[in-house]
Amino acid sequence: MPIIELKNITHAYGKKRVLQNISLNIEPGKLTCLLGGSGSGKTTILRLIAGLEIPEKGEIYIENKLVTNDSNILIPSNKRNLGFIFQDLALWPHFTVFENIAFGLKERRTQQIEQKVSEILSFFDLQAFAEKYPHQLSGGQQQLVAISRALVLEPKILLMDEPLSGLDVKLKRKILEHIKDLKKNFDVTLVYVTHDHREAFAIADQIIVLNEGKLVEAASAKEIKHSENEYVKYFLEY
Amino acid sequence: MGGKLIKYPIYTSVFLLFVLFIIAPVFYTLLFFEGSLVENLKLLDQKTFYLLGKSILIAFTIASFATFFGTILGFLLYRTNLRFRNFYRMVLMIPLFISPYILAVAWKDLFFLFTGSSDWIASETGVILVLGIIFTPLSMLITGNAFNNINTHLEETGLMITDLQSVIFKIILPLIKPALFTSFVLIFIFSISEFSVPSYFGVRLFTTEMFTQFSAFYNHSLAVLQSVLLILICVVLLYADRKYLADAPFLSFGGKGKKVKIFTLKKYRIPDELFVFFWFLISVLLPFSVLIIQSFKGGISKFIQAFELLKPTFLSSVYLALLGAAISVFIGFTAAYISEVRKIKIFDWFLLFVFAIPSTIFGISLIKFYNHPFLDFIYSGFAIVIIAYVGKFSFIAAKLIGNAIKQIPQSLEEAAQIEGVGFYRRIRKIVFPLVLPAVFTAFIINFTFSIGELGTTIMVYPPGSEIMPIKVFTIMANAPQSLVSAMTLIVLGVTLLLITIMYLIVKPLLKNYSDANN
Repeated sequence: MPIIELKNITHAYGKKRVLQNISLNIEPGKLTCLLGGSGSGKTTILRLIAGLEIPEKGEIYIENKLVTNDSNILIPSNKRNLGFIFQDLALWPHFTVFENIAFGLKERRTQQIEQKVSEILSFFDLQAFAEKYPHQLSGGQQQLVAISRALVLEPKILLMDEPLSGLDVKLKRKILEHIKDLKKNFDVTLVYVTHDHREAFAIADQIIVLNEGKLVEAASAKEIKHSENEYVKYFLEY
Repeated sequence: MGGKLIKYPIYTSVFLLFVLFIIAPVFYTLLFFEGSLVENLKLLDQKTFYLLGKSILIAFTIASFATFFGTILGFLLYRTNLRFRNFYRMVLMIPLFISPYILAVAWKDLFFLFTGSSDWIASETGVILVLGIIFTPLSMLITGNAFNNINTHLEETGLMITDLQSVIFKIILPLIKPALFTSFVLIFIFSISEFSVPSYFGVRLFTTEMFTQFSAFYNHSLAVLQSVLLILICVVLLYADRKYLADAPFLSFGGKGKKVKIFTLKKYRIPDELFVFFWFLISVLLPFSVLIIQSFKGGISKFIQAFELLKPTFLSSVYLALLGAAISVFIGFTAAYISEVRKIKIFDWFLLFVFAIPSTIFGISLIKFYNHPFLDFIYSGFAIVIIAYVGKFSFIAAKLIGNAIKQIPQSLEEAAQIEGVGFYRRIRKIVFPLVLPAVFTAFIINFTFSIGELGTTIMVYPPGSEIMPIKVFTIMANAPQSLVSAMTLIVLGVTLLLITIMYLIVKPLLKNYSDANN
């Protein structure tokens, strides 16, 4: 049973159609990469799953519940039990690391906030930075704070929109290792958007290849690597 | 810094001229007043401090009122799907771009029409209400720009966790705190400096008292001492705000388009639309409708009489405002470029300092400095009025243009530099065309503010000269209400007509710019 199901989704920004009647499934407990070039619609799919965009047509199911039906948001973003990591990380600059992570817990009136924040900070080795502001951290530390902020709310699904695009190769490799471990350590399904097939092959269980708003192929990472599809072969060449 | 100044001869010349013509009078007045300091200090009695406290309290209330409502309007009109928001964004700006006394006349008319008396409005409450309404659009503009500049992802991350209300209060408002503070300080300075509204309503405040001391009793010492107190307050405020105000990107126009999240109002849509319409009703529709009704109450004769009275002022007023705006924009561009690109901030600080000086004090300074036989060619002519406009409004031009310069990647100028293009050619061919929309906007705004300026102009205008706001203001005291209404209506019409003409002239040029950038 898929944890996320998109059925016949069509979406446009103004007159520009970005998704055309797309359907896809995301399996629970796996790391799925949405792979494609610029304008392929991968980020739009992530935003639709999160409820940050409203489709023109189609249905979205999360954990078997209908969350979006045509142009109606049935369950808002904050009730979908999702985490989202943006490309620019979107750490709130007026909050410290501790406050960034604790904000969601406070809003949801969770018990033992301090303990939960401390646990996640120590998991990512960030205790020393709890009272620092985002601009006082390095790129890698900011990355881990963004991941901590999303995971502390114990989401069932974590959506990541090209989160490593600003990092150097060495740091990227290190963070990718962290991301691979998230599945087993946090019992979370990951959906990871990237245009870099090397990044996708390094971490993904399942890869969905997109081109110009259409699904090209969805299969395991191994199958995609040896795909006979012309576009996939062309895309993987570069 | 001396080396840097020599490197930029035009900048240095403009800076020195500004210091000589505008800064020197202020320092001269503050440092060289008549009589001994001890004797003069005795003039500062309990009454003076009471008046100072009252003025501060009223300016504080106006700044709070305008920032509060301006922020609500800024959010609703810049960030939500409220119907007709583009129309409201435009028409709600009208009170800001006309002389404050026009709205004061309109409100007095309104109360007179509906209650048969204008006692309630001609009071401290009336001053707060009228100036609050006038300055709310300024806050709307500042906060609206700030709302638009927030990284959408910061809001969306909040929306993944909590509801819109919490995101507004815990994420969005704290992020625009500098804009809120800037809005408050600017409006406080504008309010404490305002002369025409308290004077028209007969409310004794610091600015009106200084005017009385200086004009009626010719008591220089007391006026100057009082002005020192007021300048001190403004400088302290600016010092507190220097972190934000000196670098605040307020009043930005024609910025690069970027995606902004528009929030859907849902169940709050109708109350919010009613609120915005109510604001439009009280700030524009009602006062100006009443002004029209009052003007034509006695038939068309009062209107003709008003037109005849104002006719000799049109040409000189437009000419002075055009010249003042042109010089201000030139100074603003020079100061902004050096401040933003070469990081020399001293000119910025001087512009800010003069801007913060209450208008009547600035007027007194100019009189005391230029009222000498060898400077009579400035004192007894229109030059002193131009100096007043330039001193008061160059800061606004510098901020507008500076914000546009900030958005130009430095690499554009550097690419030309590497190709061997000289400094002045780079400015003319690269920087200036790229900030053209901001230059035009600064010109139109400076022109609008100059043509309506009263606080300083009323102190310095040469005897026998004909300037539009002065003419209306001097007639106000003794003329029948319908004549005053007709005159203000004509001033309003002329101002709006001129803004429209300038906009129509500039529009094709801006379109070319926009096409070239897309």
